[in-house]
Amino acid sequence: MTNIIQAASRRDILKISALTAVGGILGASRAGAAPKQMTMMHESSFIPAYDAYFKNTIAPAYEKATGIKIVYETVSVGSIQTRDTTVAETGTGPEMAQMAFNWPFLFDQKLVDVTDIAKIIGDKAGGWHANAAEAVVVNGKWKAIPFGNIGQLMNYRMDWFDEVGVKSFPETWAELLEAGIKLKKNGHPFGFELGHGFGDNHGWLYPLLWSFGAREVDKDGKTVAIDSAETAKAIDFCREFFQKTMFEDVLGWTDVSNNKAFLSEQISCTNNAESILYVAKRDFPDIGKVTGQAQNPKGPTGERFHMLNPWTHGIFTHTPDVQAAKDFMVWLMDPKQVAGWYDVADSYYGPFLHAYDDASFWHKEPRNLPYRDSMANSHLPGWPAPISRPQSESVAKYVVVDMFAKACAGKSTKEVIADASAQLKQIFKNA
Amino acid sequence: MSVERGGWRVRALKLWIPLGAFMVFTLFPFYWMAVTSIKPNSELYNRKIMPMIVYHPTLKHYVDLLTETNFLVWTWNTFLVAVVSTAISLVFGTMLAYPLARMKFAGSALISFAVAATYLVPQPLLFIPLADIINQLHLGDTLTSVMLTYPTLLVPFCAWLLMGYFRSVPVELEDAARIDGATRLQTIFKVFLPLCVPGFISAGIFAFTLSQNEFLYALIFLTQTDVRTVPVGAIAELVKGDVFYWGQLMAAALLGSVPVAVIYSFFVEHYVAGLTAGAVKQ
Repeated sequence: MTNIIQAASRRDILKISALTAVGGILGASRAGAAPKQMTMMHESSFIPAYDAYFKNTIAPAYEKATGIKIVYETVSVGSIQTRDTTVAETGTGPEMAQMAFNWPFLFDQKLVDVTDIAKIIGDKAGGWHANAAEAVVVNGKWKAIPFGNIGQLMNYRMDWFDEVGVKSFPETWAELLEAGIKLKKNGHPFGFELGHGFGDNHGWLYPLLWSFGAREVDKDGKTVAIDSAETAKAIDFCREFFQKTMFEDVLGWTDVSNNKAFLSEQISCTNNAESILYVAKRDFPDIGKVTGQAQNPKGPTGERFHMLNPWTHGIFTHTPDVQAAKDFMVWLMDPKQVAGWYDVADSYYGPFLHAYDDASFWHKEPRNLPYRDSMANSHLPGWPAPISRPQSESVAKYVVVDMFAKACAGKSTKEVIADASAQLKQIFKNA
Repeated sequence: MSVERGGWRVRALKLWIPLGAFMVFTLFPFYWMAVTSIKPNSELYNRKIMPMIVYHPTLKHYVDLLTETNFLVWTWNTFLVAVVSTAISLVFGTMLAYPLARMKFAGSALISFAVAATYLVPQPLLFIPLADIINQLHLGDTLTSVMLTYPTLLVPFCAWLLMGYFRSVPVELEDAARIDGATRLQTIFKVFLPLCVPGFISAGIFAFTLSQNEFLYALIFLTQTDVRTVPVGAIAELVKGDVFYWGQLMAAALLGSVPVAVIYSFFVEHYVAGLTAGAVKQ
């Protein structure tokens, strides 16, 4: 892959610059000499090779081609939003940063319009997946370049499912409940996060809600729609699912808890990213061999859903040379460069570009293919409403998660819906 | 029946058993950190074995921590930052606390209240304006940035703590010195401050611990791995997504707590001795 990267010469960079500049679609033009250095801020990946690849392969290749040094600054999980906020609010620091969820919307005013380069990047790599725009297009403008989706899917023990006669992963929530009852009786309960973590809770509860036909807010992004018969059915199912397949600890779990429980053979099924299988294969090969991954089950509507968990790259408006940052972004997302970066991550970051729909890294581990296929029905929390600040507030306050968790802990369906509805009406009153 | 006069049963019941229970309670987190840090991953994730015992101890997590991360650099950074910011805070805290505790002037009560209120302002409200200042001074990614910002938390804390201590020192001792001809400054430096050493030690220990554990400002201002402090460095490099490197994290936590433990144990005698010294002529 290094050779491929080295093939991207100074001439390629000039071509990209000329393409974007001559096109007359740039928001800013280069004021003077090219910068000597730019910084890309990123959340540190649990795959060491992923961060190392940028530092040791991508950044040196770009410096060789253009003379511009790219500093790769890593930030711990849970801290990247604080850093992004500081950089955006103070207008100093890294020129480019990784964002997640709907942050391009939250930092809208502080991010450069990258619609122009999004088109260039998309055209060059088979076009964007439809839901790529869901997290980055704000008022018709692309405010970040989608990079990859960290899918949240079902992780399960194939051997234990097999023991109770379930040969393939259940297609519907009802079938999964049935399997879970048998597995719990066999000493292998399920473990789905119902606490205040950052992703594994929303990761299965929003899809569950949607697959029962319920919605948090209407398409207009203003009308609270949580108080419905569909929501009530989803809650009743969740309570039964919790009581008959899990144990009480899950009410206090965070994102790390289900990984630990799965790898310590405490649970037989959970909802998670690919990290469980990755770590199992690395540290617990016996568990790795019998770990399966599957798409979320379908609900009574016959539809299945997944949570969109996008990583995107934005350019801050304080960047002295916006053109240089855009040039780098176009160069980075060129398949010559970025394919190698995706490759070292073993498909953990599912690309939003169709050129990678059948890329070789998906076939290195066929069990990861459901993550690729889940892209078609993945959405951000709050879907089908467009991304908004009230939606962020709802996620930050765990309104939907708590609605389900409180029901599991003993409150009545009517009560938890009333609580959630009141909270959402307060949050969305000025939407 | 006092413990001293009672037999071994009374001593055991009233002294050793409560003391033992207290020790188990306080030392258990350290024990847990220690056993976790020397367990291989296969034991860490094995629910079928007794978790309090290590069956196959290994130093792998320590070796990985010391060779694959900049832990020693983080430790030195943390120590340096804690010492400097504590020293700055004690000096400014004393300058703030003395007049408030000893002098009568208009508005002193209001200033005392303001000091307490300042300490109560949550960090998340302050970090963005402080980041702006640090960036304007071009101090980002330098230890100076946190050495200068930690006192914004520590000065009010030290001043509040010292005000209470200063008020407990009999004012008659200062009056006697003034009657003997000492100036205000001589009284402060030769009579008053030496009596307050225990107060400085306790304020210093607390300030040092707070500096050592501080997370938010260090996270914001120190982004390069070679200028990070232990709390930020360990979290940034040992927590990856939803995968925690438990062994290395516990090794880092255990090693990171050593400086504070040493300082506490070193100063505890001075602290206790200081409590009774000073007010009585030898």
